[in-house]
Amino acid sequence: MGDSTGDTGSSMHGVSTDKTGKYDLPVDLEDRATVFKLFSFAKPHMRTFHLSWISFSTCFVSTFAAAPLVPIIRENLNLTKQDVGNAGVASVSGSIFSRLVMGAVCDLLGPRYGCAFLVMLSAPTVFSMSCVSGAAGFITVRFMIGFCLATFVSCQYWMSTMFTSKIIGLVNGTAAGWGNMGGGITQLLMPVVYEIIRRCGATAFTAWRIAFFVPGWLHIIMGILVLTLGQDLPGGNRKAVEKKGKVVQDKLGKIMWCAVSNYRTWIFVLLYGYSMGVELSTDNVIAEYFFDRFHLKLHTAGIIAASFGMANFFARPAGGYASDIAAKYFGMRGRLWALWIIQTAGGLFCVWLGLANTLVTAIVAMILFSLGAQAACGATFAIVPFVSRRSLGIISGLTGAGGNFGSGLTQLIFFSTSQFTTEQGLTWMGVMIVACTLPVMLIHFPQWGSMFRPPSTDPVKGTAEYYYVSEWNEEEKQKNMHQGSVAFAINAKSEDGRNAPSTITV
Amino acid sequence: MAIHKIILASFLVYLMIQFSHGATKERLFSDLEKDALDVTAKPSRQGVLDAGIDKLSITWKLSSTAKKQANFKTIKVKLCYAPVSQVDRPWRKTENELFKDKTCPHKIITRAYNKSSQSFKYTLDRDIPTGTYFVRTYAVDAKDHEVAFGQSTNEAKTTNLFSVQAISGRHKSLDIASVCFSVFSVLALLVFFVNEKRKAKLEQSK
Repeated sequence: MGDSTGDTGSSMHGVSTDKTGKYDLPVDLEDRATVFKLFSFAKPHMRTFHLSWISFSTCFVSTFAAAPLVPIIRENLNLTKQDVGNAGVASVSGSIFSRLVMGAVCDLLGPRYGCAFLVMLSAPTVFSMSCVSGAAGFITVRFMIGFCLATFVSCQYWMSTMFTSKIIGLVNGTAAGWGNMGGGITQLLMPVVYEIIRRCGATAFTAWRIAFFVPGWLHIIMGILVLTLGQDLPGGNRKAVEKKGKVVQDKLGKIMWCAVSNYRTWIFVLLYGYSMGVELSTDNVIAEYFFDRFHLKLHTAGIIAASFGMANFFARPAGGYASDIAAKYFGMRGRLWALWIIQTAGGLFCVWLGLANTLVTAIVAMILFSLGAQAACGATFAIVPFVSRRSLGIISGLTGAGGNFGSGLTQLIFFSTSQFTTEQGLTWMGVMIVACTLPVMLIHFPQWGSMFRPPSTDPVKGTAEYYYVSEWNEEEKQKNMHQGSVAFAINAKSEDGRNAPSTITV
Repeated sequence: MAIHKIILASFLVYLMIQFSHGATKERLFSDLEKDALDVTAKPSRQGVLDAGIDKLSITWKLSSTAKKQANFKTIKVKLCYAPVSQVDRPWRKTENELFKDKTCPHKIITRAYNKSSQSFKYTLDRDIPTGTYFVRTYAVDAKDHEVAFGQSTNEAKTTNLFSVQAISGRHKSLDIASVCFSVFSVLALLVFFVNEKRKAKLEQSK
């Protein structure tokens, strides 16, 4: 799919055929913005940003919409504790698979179609929640709704095509962080919608069903907006774009191999399971924890649960920003150190949360834990775009899937059995976070180094160009398929740290 | 030294919160006078009752063994879960501390205390969940503290229980609306997509 000239990947919807250069923001060689202007909606860069994070946030709203209404739903559907727990695991498991697929979809069809397709095709799953009548139906529908969390991948991918590498940490962190906020917004939104519907005369067991129409409508609205207002590529003359080989027809098998044969991919899959993964697990258990352990009212526990998710508003962008600052002075090595420090700190605060015996200490520990985990998510995706240029989509997808896998795993081990009380579960989860963050030390880029090793001094193999171009074989280089990687390598000189050139010449 | 004052103030607030936890002695269910009231609850028909439709005939009167009736001000009648409906559901757990106890969450009626026999015909609310139940009446004093109770079942909560089937909450109109919006979503997507492909083909053939 794509243009009939045989280009796959991004569609040309919205791309003007005028000469390049007429953008609202300054751009780099690949027409990606070099500046981030938050309150602008100008096309294409900032408009993409807002479409992207809002549609991702909508998916978070619908995936976690059931959580604050569980006290009503469990009575209507006659659920047991195990049913509620299993539904929680199901809600994050669906997207393990869909995030992997979405990575490939973005590489092949472009992020705009990927996002719109997923958001609009998952609207029926949200509407079908109003028809469930028992535990099996509830678990199944939560599983299916969870598929739409794959919009995370399209969101990050889309940001990477629109914004340059120097600011990608901040941009990705903000887009994803504000998206994740949906998990907090829903804890406030759904109870309010439910209450309004009840006041209008519906009984409790009907009101919650009607309430689910709201996230369903949000899906449809966002899908239509993405289709009409969004565009895959920043722009450029169609012929020029084709000549430079920016839009290449690539093979799925090659992209996959490129992704899975890179060891760094797997380390990030593990890492993200212990930043994003633990955040999702905590989203599902924290309200109940505060309700039971400190005997709070349900809406008070809900407010605390919401604030955990809403901290994403600044925590995740802050993590991306911290990574960008570290890169400015220390290059990629700075980014790796920043990630390790932030994620380990989050783990230690999680340990403290489980050990806290009073409400005040528990809230303080929870807030610090949320900051650590969410900033670590931002710092992770400040590095992921540099792991590979060719397989960015699949690696983003795999990392995202790792997040959900980590969430399902921690919920299963620590929060679904009677072996641990919830507070013990939280403490052990914190220990696991610290242990699973150690592999950051193994990530080494020949051109930039690692936490403990300096970059390679080899004049050929120690360059960014060699690293990115070596993803293509000779035959592909003959066809000029690698030109995008060359341009990317030039822009990526920003990761050299203080030695980075201040102007980029071609 | 503003920062020292802030730290001291927050520490004092913290201490106050700590101490406020242990301030009140918790009132216990085991302290209440047992079987102070004779309670009966008769379902309107045999078998599983339907929420929102079927009724219970509830009567209560002072038991001959009651001692604390001088304190009785109000009688609160409540619908309570039998043990079988509490299994695997910690949100319905029976606790000795009255403020934590979740056995009887559903209010039936509250009436001023009267020595003579009282009765009430209760139509099961539409938000009663599926389960097995009994009826308990709490005798409450002027300070709104429970002092005694009586229930329609024995102490082990095994006799005279009745079952209720909840409403489903589903409606045909909801199901239809759900299908309509789902179809709209899928169709809108397909229409956009096909349209765009067609435009691209036209562009190319120019």
